Amino acid sequence: MAEATTQSQLTEEMEELSVSSPDSGASVLAEAVARVEGVTKVYGAGATKVTALDDVTVEFQRGQMTAIMGPSGSGKSTLLHCLAGLDTVTSGRIVVADADISTMSDKELTVLRRDRIGFVFQSFNLIPTLTAERNITLQRRLGRHGVDSDWFDKVVDILEIRERLDHRPSELSGGQQQRVAVARALISKPEMIIADEPTGNLDQASGREVLSFLRRAVNEYGQTVVIVTHDAAAASYADRVIFLADGQVVGELQHPTTAQIFERLQELEK
Amino acid sequence: MLALSLTRLIAQRFRLVSTSISVFIGIAFLAGSMVLIDTLGASFDELATDINEGVDVVVRSSELVESGFAQVRGQLDESVLATVEGIDGVAEAQPNIEGYAQLVDAQGEAVGNPGQGAPTIGVNWSDSDVLNQVTVAEGQAPRKPDEVVIDRYTAEANGFAVGDTVTVLLKVPPEEFTITGIGTFGESDSLMGASLVMFDFTTAQRVLGSPGMISSVSVAAVPGVSQEELRDRITAQLPIRTEALTGADSVAELQGDISEALSFFNTFMTIFALIALFVAAFIIYNTFSILVAQRTKETALLRALGAGRRQVIGSVLFEAVLMGIIASAAGIVAGIGVAELLKRLLGTVGLEIPGSNVVFEASTAYNALIAGVAITAVSAVIPALRASRTSPLAALREASVDDSALSRSRMVFGFLTLAVCGAMLMAGLFADISNRLMFVGLGAAGIFIGVAAWGPIVARPFARIVGAPLARLRGLPGELAQENGMRNPRRTATTAAALMIGVGLVSAISIFAASTTRTVDKIIDDTVVGDLVIESGSQGFGGLSPVLAEEVSALPEVALASGVRIALTEVDGEGQTLLAFETVDMGDLVDVGIVAGDPATLGVDGLAVLDTEAEDRGWALGSEVTLDFVQTGRQAFEVGLIYTEDALVGPMFISNDAYEANSTEIFDMSVYVLANDSYTTDQFRTAVEAAAAPYPNAEVMDLGELKASISAQVDQMLTLVYALLALAVIIALIGIANTIALSTVERTREIGLLRAVGMTRPQLRASVRWESFLIALLGTTMGLTLGLFFGWSMVEALRDEGITELAIPLPQIGVVAVLAAGAGVIASLRPAAKAARLPILDAVASG
Repeated sequence: MAEATTQSQLTEEMEELSVSSPDSGASVLAEAVARVEGVTKVYGAGATKVTALDDVTVEFQRGQMTAIMGPSGSGKSTLLHCLAGLDTVTSGRIVVADADISTMSDKELTVLRRDRIGFVFQSFNLIPTLTAERNITLQRRLGRHGVDSDWFDKVVDILEIRERLDHRPSELSGGQQQRVAVARALISKPEMIIADEPTGNLDQASGREVLSFLRRAVNEYGQTVVIVTHDAAAASYADRVIFLADGQVVGELQHPTTAQIFERLQELEK
Repeated sequence: MLALSLTRLIAQRFRLVSTSISVFIGIAFLAGSMVLIDTLGASFDELATDINEGVDVVVRSSELVESGFAQVRGQLDESVLATVEGIDGVAEAQPNIEGYAQLVDAQGEAVGNPGQGAPTIGVNWSDSDVLNQVTVAEGQAPRKPDEVVIDRYTAEANGFAVGDTVTVLLKVPPEEFTITGIGTFGESDSLMGASLVMFDFTTAQRVLGSPGMISSVSVAAVPGVSQEELRDRITAQLPIRTEALTGADSVAELQGDISEALSFFNTFMTIFALIALFVAAFIIYNTFSILVAQRTKETALLRALGAGRRQVIGSVLFEAVLMGIIASAAGIVAGIGVAELLKRLLGTVGLEIPGSNVVFEASTAYNALIAGVAITAVSAVIPALRASRTSPLAALREASVDDSALSRSRMVFGFLTLAVCGAMLMAGLFADISNRLMFVGLGAAGIFIGVAAWGPIVARPFARIVGAPLARLRGLPGELAQENGMRNPRRTATTAAALMIGVGLVSAISIFAASTTRTVDKIIDDTVVGDLVIESGSQGFGGLSPVLAEEVSALPEVALASGVRIALTEVDGEGQTLLAFETVDMGDLVDVGIVAGDPATLGVDGLAVLDTEAEDRGWALGSEVTLDFVQTGRQAFEVGLIYTEDALVGPMFISNDAYEANSTEIFDMSVYVLANDSYTTDQFRTAVEAAAAPYPNAEVMDLGELKASISAQVDQMLTLVYALLALAVIIALIGIANTIALSTVERTREIGLLRAVGMTRPQLRASVRWESFLIALLGTTMGLTLGLFFGWSMVEALRDEGITELAIPLPQIGVVAVLAAGAGVIASLRPAAKAARLPILDAVASG
């Protein structure tokens, strides 16, 4: 009971914060790229039944970077996976670019992931047998789409990996590997980039680099980015932070500072 | 450590099951052939005992000539019977006559094929209750010259019944008989599938033997006289060139002949079982190499915790031995089924084996078990050593892709193996040594191993070059297949090597067969001048009544006809097969390249000799030579002809007149016919066919048809060899499926990533399929290359034996290549489907 009270209090505080945010007007006007509507996700059955997402409703705006945060087991990764079409929902629906993905077949989901979504995972983002360049163009070539060479050049230059294009993943540092993964995510100009702990395996400097590249993609090219992270500093790059706990959205912050995020997390984990 | 091996074996049982299958198949076949041989041996032994039941002494000619697998024994004068009957202690004596007798069925076709299958035998009926082991099950014994009894198996298989009239092919022109009875042999309906016709004594002598002659005498002793004693009493009274032996010795001799024939069959089957196991060894080696590599971290942890190198080796070997035991035990049990299957297969081709039980000797169990365990353990030695070299620090390192092609030791090993085994192969093929077959076998096996050791050098460039168009045409799945084919050259090469063996042997054999066929074609083109050949299909036992050649000769449409016969004789104490011709005008029928002499003057004592043979023996035109025939003994001959072309007629031949003077078994194997130019080809052929019509075993062929029929015979043998080699190919395909499955497990995360970023299931399946295709294609290419080399060496080695033409059957080899590479794709279907079904999130998260 006590915990529930704390959470509802937190939510109220956060709503106040977001109202007072100077950018709140802009976010209301922005069009939603993806909408999660009343989504519940249950794993297992009977005694081992786990409710990972419990009637979650949330929108992700175009041209924004959104971070999803929460303690372990809060359902943040499940939410991301469902949003990316990697996992199916138990009830509710998810709409990505005006298409209801909760009713899609495996094949439709595969094509959605290939053509409309960019991915950056925590590690093992690249196919070891392919060079950096071939990893970047992987998704385009899976769909037998051409690669826009101007855009390719631009992405490669922004990410500063031109020198590394002929190298295989084993010859790249962790930071370089993640930058190649970001390049792959950007190259098809997807509806949104989904990044699951993209800096989780990196040292601080490399992590910051990757995040600022994602930030630039949002600022300069209007890219939509959704990231899951447990690192408050990483989340501070986002326009908006959504907090999850026990499978429910328990609040959000607009343009928060690291300190603000850290504070909320501390409270959530109590 | 042993507990760990066990736990691992259980945990990874599904991976190891497919490896075990390769051992299982090989052992099942090995044990199956052993059981079959033992079963055949026991059945034949029993039959040999049964048909000699009650026989205490056998009297026969002591004249015997053997050459290769053929043997001929002389006939006896029938007066021997009276001599034997007069000896004290003889209760009963029965004359035996044996000869060629082939039934003709209702459709006018000759029953059985004595040239290739079970013999078609005629004997005389005996009324003795003691000495005759044939029981008349239906009807009655033959009493008149036109009555016969036939065996029940032949009767049932061809729809003959008591009262039917049947035509029988004999040394005299075909005659009609009435079937008065159906006979059985104890429990059995058949003498191992042979067809048997029983005539009354006088008829038998006329149609099977010769007037006044018999084949042997069976004797029963009065009670109280032992076999040995009776034998000695009889021996004392026998004329020259006649011998007596006890019933027991006769049975033992027959059993010895049978076991000699079976040991040839046994060797033949064992070779194919060993080939299958050899391929299985590659699969085991590869699987253990992959498993050891996948367990690097686990092994390193054990090493860090203090496990010694020997313990690591022990744990891998223990696992291998345990797997070998389980797979072999299952294989041995399955072998009984395989034997039963093969036995039924033999039954359908007429070799009916009496008795329903298969014979399972304990030696089968332990020989097969030892073979299976040894092959598994030996194949796992190198992976075990590799595992033991794992550094404890490997536990801490990120496993990287091992794309090294060759270690120095592997390179040296491959080189030495190739050098030594290449030399062995060459020695076996070309040097004048004993045990040539063993040298060839070990040499070829070693070359396969050496090439497999060097395979990784080829694997990367091969996958790159062959995979390039794949990447271009098939897009990303093709590109990934290409990269995956290149990423672990050793694995790719070893997997491909298993397929290489089957493909290599199949293509070598097909080159050998094609070369044989082409050589025969060339011999016929170069040597046969005649227009038609009448073939009997006999290989020396029975054939065409010589009356046919006389009848054909007399036709106005025919200029000339000559029967061709096979005689066995002894020259300088050694058995020698020689042909006999109507030599008077033989130059018009066959061109043997006469150097000196005149075939027309060979007569009854002239011998024609090949020039090189004459040189070796120091003979010249006019030399006196002694030939020893079973029927007439030593005969003085004179070399009357020297010739150069031996391909058709062999190293020596005589005239039909000389043959008739020295043999009672007069059959034409074939008849060569020359047309009379005054008639058209059609008129000529129609006339010859009409003359041959009453002889259902006679097939009239022109030279083209003759070539086709020989090539069909070669193809038949080839089909059998292909069927047996298919075993090796199937095991190799299991190996491909196995490697692909293991690689898929290794690449779970990669597959998860590809699926996450949008690779569809069909694309993923295609990628796995094309990788398997590349491996299969590599194996096929290496196999074809080695097959060409082996085929060429075999033909070169047999040049002296008469295989003079090298032929490479491109269409056949093409079919082999397409099938092998295609089968590689099929082998990957299951692992590909499994990979495509991997749950994406689990795969991405696995690590």
